[in-house]
Amino acid sequence: MAPVTDTQSERIRRAISARIRKTREFVDQTDPAALAIVSVMALSLFGALVGFLAVSDWTILPFVAFLASSAVGWFRYQEETAYVISLMMTVSTILILGLIVVFIFRESIPVIRYESATVYGFTVPGLRMFIQPNWDAVSPPIRYSMVPMIHGTVMVTLIASAVAAPLGVSAALFLSEIAPAPVREVVKPGVEVLAGIPSIVYGFIGFTVLSPWASDQFQTTGQGSYLFVGIVVGLMALPTVVSVAEDALSSIPESMKSGSLALGTTDWQTMTSITLPAAFSGVSAAVLLGVGRAIGETMAATVMLRGVPRLTEPLVNVFYGMETLTSIIARNYGEADGLQMDALFVAGVILFVTVLAISVGAQYIEWRMHKRLGGEI
Amino acid sequence: MAGATQTGGELIEEETTETDAVAAGAVGLSAVLFALAVAALFERISLTGAIAGVRTVTLLGGLLTALGVAVVAFGVGSRFGYVRTDPDPSAGLVAGFGAAVPWVVIGGGVVSETLGLGPTIGVIGAVVAGGTAFAVTVLPREDVGSTLPLGSLLALIGLVFLTGVIGPEWVWELDWAQQASITAGFLVPTATLFSALYGGWASAKAYGGFGARGRHMGAYVLVYLNALSIIAFLFVLVAYVVVQGVPGLLNGAEFGFGTGPQTTILGVSVTLPVSVPFVMNGVALFNDFQGVLPAIVGTIWLVIGAVLLAVPLGVGAAVFLTEYAERGRFTQVVEVATNGLWSTPSIVFGLFGFAFLIPRFGNGKSLLSGMITLGFMLLPLVVITSREAMLSVPDEYRDASAALGVSKWQTIRSVVLPAALPGVVTGVILGVGRIAGETAPILLTMAGGTFVPGSQTVDVLGSFQFTSAPPFVANPALLEATSALPYQLYALISAGVGASSNVGDADAFRWATALILLIIVLSFYAIGIATRYYFRRRLRHT
Amino acid sequence: MSENQNPQTQTDTATTGTDQPLTTTTGESVEQTRDEWREYEFEGESKMTVENLDVYYGDDHALKDVSMEIPEQSVTALIGPSGCGKSTYLRCLNRMNDRISSARIDGTVRFDGQDIYQDGVNLVELRKRVGMVFQSPNPFPKSIRQNIAYGPEKHGDLDTGLLARLLNRSDEEERDRLVERCLRDAALWDEVNDRLDDNALGLSGGQQQRLCIARCLSVDPEIILMDEPASALDPIATAKIEDLIEDLSEEYTVVIVTHNMQQAARISDQTAVFLTGGELVEYGETDQVFEDPNSERVEDYISGKFG
Repeated sequence: MAPVTDTQSERIRRAISARIRKTREFVDQTDPAALAIVSVMALSLFGALVGFLAVSDWTILPFVAFLASSAVGWFRYQEETAYVISLMMTVSTILILGLIVVFIFRESIPVIRYESATVYGFTVPGLRMFIQPNWDAVSPPIRYSMVPMIHGTVMVTLIASAVAAPLGVSAALFLSEIAPAPVREVVKPGVEVLAGIPSIVYGFIGFTVLSPWASDQFQTTGQGSYLFVGIVVGLMALPTVVSVAEDALSSIPESMKSGSLALGTTDWQTMTSITLPAAFSGVSAAVLLGVGRAIGETMAATVMLRGVPRLTEPLVNVFYGMETLTSIIARNYGEADGLQMDALFVAGVILFVTVLAISVGAQYIEWRMHKRLGGEI
Repeated sequence: MAGATQTGGELIEEETTETDAVAAGAVGLSAVLFALAVAALFERISLTGAIAGVRTVTLLGGLLTALGVAVVAFGVGSRFGYVRTDPDPSAGLVAGFGAAVPWVVIGGGVVSETLGLGPTIGVIGAVVAGGTAFAVTVLPREDVGSTLPLGSLLALIGLVFLTGVIGPEWVWELDWAQQASITAGFLVPTATLFSALYGGWASAKAYGGFGARGRHMGAYVLVYLNALSIIAFLFVLVAYVVVQGVPGLLNGAEFGFGTGPQTTILGVSVTLPVSVPFVMNGVALFNDFQGVLPAIVGTIWLVIGAVLLAVPLGVGAAVFLTEYAERGRFTQVVEVATNGLWSTPSIVFGLFGFAFLIPRFGNGKSLLSGMITLGFMLLPLVVITSREAMLSVPDEYRDASAALGVSKWQTIRSVVLPAALPGVVTGVILGVGRIAGETAPILLTMAGGTFVPGSQTVDVLGSFQFTSAPPFVANPALLEATSALPYQLYALISAGVGASSNVGDADAFRWATALILLIIVLSFYAIGIATRYYFRRRLRHT
Repeated sequence: MSENQNPQTQTDTATTGTDQPLTTTTGESVEQTRDEWREYEFEGESKMTVENLDVYYGDDHALKDVSMEIPEQSVTALIGPSGCGKSTYLRCLNRMNDRISSARIDGTVRFDGQDIYQDGVNLVELRKRVGMVFQSPNPFPKSIRQNIAYGPEKHGDLDTGLLARLLNRSDEEERDRLVERCLRDAALWDEVNDRLDDNALGLSGGQQQRLCIARCLSVDPEIILMDEPASALDPIATAKIEDLIEDLSEEYTVVIVTHNMQQAARISDQTAVFLTGGELVEYGETDQVFEDPNSERVEDYISGKFG
């Protein structure tokens, strides 16, 4: 273990010293006046950020200073200013992700403390939200369990994936391997437009058409079922699966496909034996991202579900739809305050962490695929 | 030599034979059944009614039986050499599992419910039925394996419908704590739908003469059907919203000179030749016709604000990542972060805006918070598409420019950015289409009441004012809660019919709102896709 | 044997040429070369007969009125400057040009007397009998063994799938014999016999190309089309491939595209010269084409004056 960490710290040290060297070079090579302007810009923007975070009315001052120094820099030392501004913009992108993490976690802390549970003598904060299924914000004991919503999200996501994965991969195969060019020119924008239809419109149609129909067909009490929310959400996740999987499939080199076809295999055999296995990681990343979309889908679930945070009975009863992690936030943010609002943030944290993990996982899979196929792309 | 054994392939195939025609007919019959099943599912045809004088269920049953018999006959005929085919030794595992699934369902259902033996024995029944179907598919030669289990499945379902064992009144009550039942209205069309898919698959395989070409045909039929269904679904969806929304949209609309409201264009007062109250009015007690003007204006401002924030930020970040930064750890981290941001659920952005922005902008929901939240949502997309566009600018351009002694930033500004512009513009337009329809983030950050009077239509440009206290600039319009179309639609849905009675026909009002929203979002998409085609064609011709 | 170029088609070519930018020059040169045309007569059977073949990519007329007979069990080399249409021509012989949607093909190509561009042609069967080796090695991202066994397995001649193994009717021994035979025929066996289960992408370029040749042999083709098979390889690997091609011609009909004239002279029995614009300018016995070409343009090309 020791040599590994050694080399690692060595590497980090070298990286840092390289960075320092580069910064020094930059400082040495740059006109002192430009350097001064650039530093003023950086400092004032940092000041504005601090002020904004501290909810200060004076934030405007450093911000104006930043604008003024940028303006001066732009006219006098455009080269350096452009570099520094674009660097700041990059940093701010990461900063936003960081701020999201900090703020939604911070808001959820009180309720995590409140919902502590003791297991084997250890007090685990937040555990009680996951070991009992009761959500009650009104009558004591006040409990904010995440179990019903997790159950709902899992049900919806499973059904949605069952819809989106096969249909999406098949449509991606169609677009990338089968469709003649004129057909592709129609179907591809069609899939994109499908992605563009607002989720609330899907939800509205589901609410006015599907839900009453489903309640009628399955003779359920009241409206709202995981089955149909899942199907609608699956259709909404479909375009994500199609476009990512299509990218993966068309990144397989034509020479590989020709090699198979020249042996006298059918197009379908080439697809299933060469193209799909070679693009397997990319296609599974597509399915993963589709799952991520399905998990995060909010409005269709909110308007189509019942809004009762409890489990269905039995658990596999897909004909009843209660609440998902997303819909409970959208439905309850209005009247919620205090602990209940914080509980909504816990739902947000679960969503955020899950989807982020899925996204990072999908990227890792894709990255490995590109590495494996090497320079052939 | 194994490779030397020629497996009966002929270089030139004969003309279409009668048997091909039978298989093609079976494929066609499956298509008809599929269409009937979809129509029945959407209640376009009634199960209790009749088509051409035959009861619907009987008709479906008859067609299914015929299809099943045709499929089985083809397979058996091929086995005994009456039909010339080129089958493999086995239909394969995939076909085996495909055939086992419906038989598991049927076996389980019949044993546990029809025979009333309970779930435990039901599982055994399911396993036996599925296992048999699997074995019959996998073990015999392909022509029998891929037709017999599926054909008999179709025939069985067909006979059940024909004999009235499952008629239009059939109901199976699930014995669950929360009551639910499976009715004929759901079961008959669904079973027909899946049977048609299986029938089409099997007969397409038969049409291709089994073997590699048969499987190719079978798979292509399903893949084409899937693509067609997606496009049909899109078309039906849009058409439905249009049909439902147009009456509400045109409620009280007038066309002709002098009918519209007065407006000032370039200093000249003009009377518009159209009057569409739905998009020109707000909601007020004494309005003849109610409208959603404030929501439309709110949406427009929202989009403008988000674009103003996200586009410079995103393009700048993309410039840094592609042009300045060396590819390495840092760019990788940013890439992972932007992709992560891109897949972050919109409601999480809403929560973030609620926790981060609202306390900093006047402690209440405001247009400004909504703009920034949506800007954050748009940002990763702008970064990703701009980066892609810049990466696709060939390095030769940069080298050529650098070789002329042009500085880095000048190269970026005069070579890279213009070349990447088409990609960036297209990406931004498509992204805008997406955020214009987002509801969840603005729900928590900006949206106010359900119905907004026309007098409260936001006027951002007219509201700037200077104050003596910091922050010295104020714009009440930006700091007020307002409405946007997607939120308006949500509010109308969740408010229920009673609360929205003051807009007259609430249902028409809602559908019209949905239609306006769809029109706005889809026109962004249309513009985006058209831009892409325009640039692509220009690229091809120069 | 070849009854080529009746006057009718000549005028056709000339008129089709009028909408081309190169009109007059090309038109004239067609006439000129056709006048000098000497029939190539060979002994033995003709394996493939091409008559009046024209290929268009969109508006681009890539091959102009090519007619040629390819004798059985010999090596036919197609040479010419880049962009002369020789690869396009090769890809017409097993209809790989069907993959390019903008390609339009006129004329007839007969394989064993049957026109492969008529309706109802079984492409699977055609490509099984007319194998192809590509310019850059394109092994599948699978093991060496699976690369060889791929074709026969897809054609149902070999079955080593999970099901076959379960039913105890797996052809594993047969497959291994086939793999060994093909690898030996492709002169690769000695180099890889101890790592048949390694990924083929780990082989060197020359080995990959020989693997692709072995893969092509596995379906027992009658003709092997090779599209500059050695262009991406170093001299040693090239020499190995050349030896291999000469061995293969004892059993198979080999058609090879190359831009390397020495290579064509070394290995081929007859040579066809395509020149810019997609015309077949000269076709004959290799020695004759290289030593005493009929056309001045071919002489210029071969002596290195252009191309």
